[in-house]
Amino acid sequence: MSEGLNIIVCIKQVPATTEVEIDPETGTLKREGIESVINPFDEYAIEESIRLKEKYGGIVKVVTMGPPMAEQALRDAIAMGCDQAILITDRVFAGADTWATSLTLARCIDKLKPYDIVLCGLKTTDGDTGQTGPELAEHLGIPHICYVNRILGIDNGVMRVTRALDDGVETLESNLPLLLTVTKEINHPRLATLKGRLLAKRAEIKKFTLKEIGGDPKEYGLSGSFTRVIKVFTPSPPVSGEVMEVDPEIAAQKIFEKLVEIKVI
Amino acid sequence: MVNYGRVTFSLKKRLEDIVSEKYISDAPEDLEKYSKDESLTPPHPPEIVVKPVSVEEVSAIMKLAYENFIPVTPQGSRTGLSGAAHPIHGGIVLSFERMNKIIEIDEENMMTVVEPGVLIMDLHAETEKKGLLYPPDPGQESGTIGGNISTNAGGVRGMKYGVTRDFVQGLEAVLPNGTIIDLGGKNVKNSTGYELIDLIIGSEGTLAVVTKAILRLIPKPRHTALLYVPFNSTRDAVKVVPEIIKRKVIPFAIEYMPQHAVLTAEKYLERRLPDNEHSAYLLIGVEGNSESEIDNSLEVAGEACLEMGGLDAFVAETQTQQQQLWEARKCLFDAYKSFYEIDEVDACVPRNKIPDYVEEAEKIAENNRLLIVNIGHAGDGNVHSIIAKGETEREEWLKVLEKTVNELISVSLSLGGTVSGEHGVGYTKKNYLELKVGKTQVELMKMIKRVFDPNNILNPGKVFDL
Repeated sequence: MSEGLNIIVCIKQVPATTEVEIDPETGTLKREGIESVINPFDEYAIEESIRLKEKYGGIVKVVTMGPPMAEQALRDAIAMGCDQAILITDRVFAGADTWATSLTLARCIDKLKPYDIVLCGLKTTDGDTGQTGPELAEHLGIPHICYVNRILGIDNGVMRVTRALDDGVETLESNLPLLLTVTKEINHPRLATLKGRLLAKRAEIKKFTLKEIGGDPKEYGLSGSFTRVIKVFTPSPPVSGEVMEVDPEIAAQKIFEKLVEIKVI
Repeated sequence: MVNYGRVTFSLKKRLEDIVSEKYISDAPEDLEKYSKDESLTPPHPPEIVVKPVSVEEVSAIMKLAYENFIPVTPQGSRTGLSGAAHPIHGGIVLSFERMNKIIEIDEENMMTVVEPGVLIMDLHAETEKKGLLYPPDPGQESGTIGGNISTNAGGVRGMKYGVTRDFVQGLEAVLPNGTIIDLGGKNVKNSTGYELIDLIIGSEGTLAVVTKAILRLIPKPRHTALLYVPFNSTRDAVKVVPEIIKRKVIPFAIEYMPQHAVLTAEKYLERRLPDNEHSAYLLIGVEGNSESEIDNSLEVAGEACLEMGGLDAFVAETQTQQQQLWEARKCLFDAYKSFYEIDEVDACVPRNKIPDYVEEAEKIAENNRLLIVNIGHAGDGNVHSIIAKGETEREEWLKVLEKTVNELISVSLSLGGTVSGEHGVGYTKKNYLELKVGKTQVELMKMIKRVFDPNNILNPGKVFDL
């Protein structure tokens, strides 16, 4: 702690739009011609890691697994203020589910020891599982806290955070090292500055392939995955609430009664 | 002044022979709705509202009005800020809300043919779907193209692309006596007689009623990015503009916002902007067809800023990041309107005179004890001075307001600027016209008006009084 924090932030490059077309043959996303960006939830993780560094000192390493083009996401993270970047890329890793992904990330992060905090976004906008973060913590053998909406502070190697759940707000403490997944309420991600961008352009991106990660190729990628994507579709928005087709005056009265009933007014 | 006829019962019947009864109204709530634009001008209810759907209907209505000396006021969506769409003599409001079709997007000639009631936001959305762009981009996107043509609207892309006039290739219009004329066309060049089309554009609906427009489009640049740069003073911010251009980068927009505007946008949108602690800000938009082109423009423009007093340079690259910054700029009129009663002067001065104008405007605000927020299209010299009512009584404020508007316009004129950059003269600024163009030109304008509209029935009492 005396030299500051060693922070690792895990990110993913995703298609920018939610209107991605799906290839009906393969069930995979058509990514051609679609802008790729940092997964929006991961931007909150990046911002929080930089804020921790600004407050406690230290270094932020940003890690992603993906094809060579994912390098741009890492450069964007450096432009925001991350210090070092690692791209885990190898054909062997392709087609990984959350298990194989988190295993690969864990093997990489093990090589970055010692670390104090691992930050992840709550979930990705393309996969939407929210599993990779907690699974990564299990592989690393460290505690994790999900849905973190505020970091209260670090004192004597103990971090205090809050998270908002359906039935209230929890305040939690944990020893470091610790993995957090963060929600979008935690901060407002900053824009990169021009200087940051220039720095990012020249930054060295370390590449980790199977050789650096180690292990049996069968553990990774599609062959190391327990789950298979059978069908991909855009879920229809949840339908809820009562629909009353009545005259406006009656409708207003009904709404009023309802609001009184549920004690809103 | 002409003694105008009234919209009598029999005239109403004759209107109903032209336009289906459903689209004619003299119900009090409609007369109220069509009685004003978004300026502070008190309402002027018409006698009747007519909503034609074709040029033939417009022509027949005009003929009828002409023969009966009934004043006619064309209206788009009444978002104007100078009272130009106010039916000040009552009569007929000709509302173009049903003539709102994009007739054609011609990719081979790169032009679009539209009816006057098409909203600017729809025009942008539809042309952009085809990879094309209609560059004029006034802040009020729910305005109509007919209104934009009438005021020769500009917007944020003015510095690079020009204004509405530069994109109108052809017009179909109806003269006050009902005659239909076709001006220009899809031909790019034209050396055939007087360019009457340029008389109609910007005439604020006083010479002819536009019923169709052919607009030029450009290929939509594939990438855009924004820089958000804080400065310690307006002067610092504005002197960067020529420096960027000197370095051979032409941003599609350079917008100036003072700290007050940034804080007001934050309050209105309930979110933070990247920086709110400095006295002046520039928002610089660059575009290109490749990422390397964008990179280069960002670096050249950004470095120019940093060398010339820019305190930092924030880069918005993703769609979301860019939208959030644009939203902050574009919400300002609505934001100020929601927190204050406001009026606005939209002077346009040579762009190197913006600091002088802003400094004078600040002095005027101090002397008259009211709030003036100067937001500018820094790239083209068009400064929107939002004049906000503070704690004073309304009557007192209106008095001071008139004095303030006078003073702001005098400053603009003394700096070689104009009365209005894009809002138009309309009803509210007609006393200032002669100050800018002089007696001779006003007389010429009046003669032209008499040629087009000898009975003075088309939007009378606007731009000047006959």
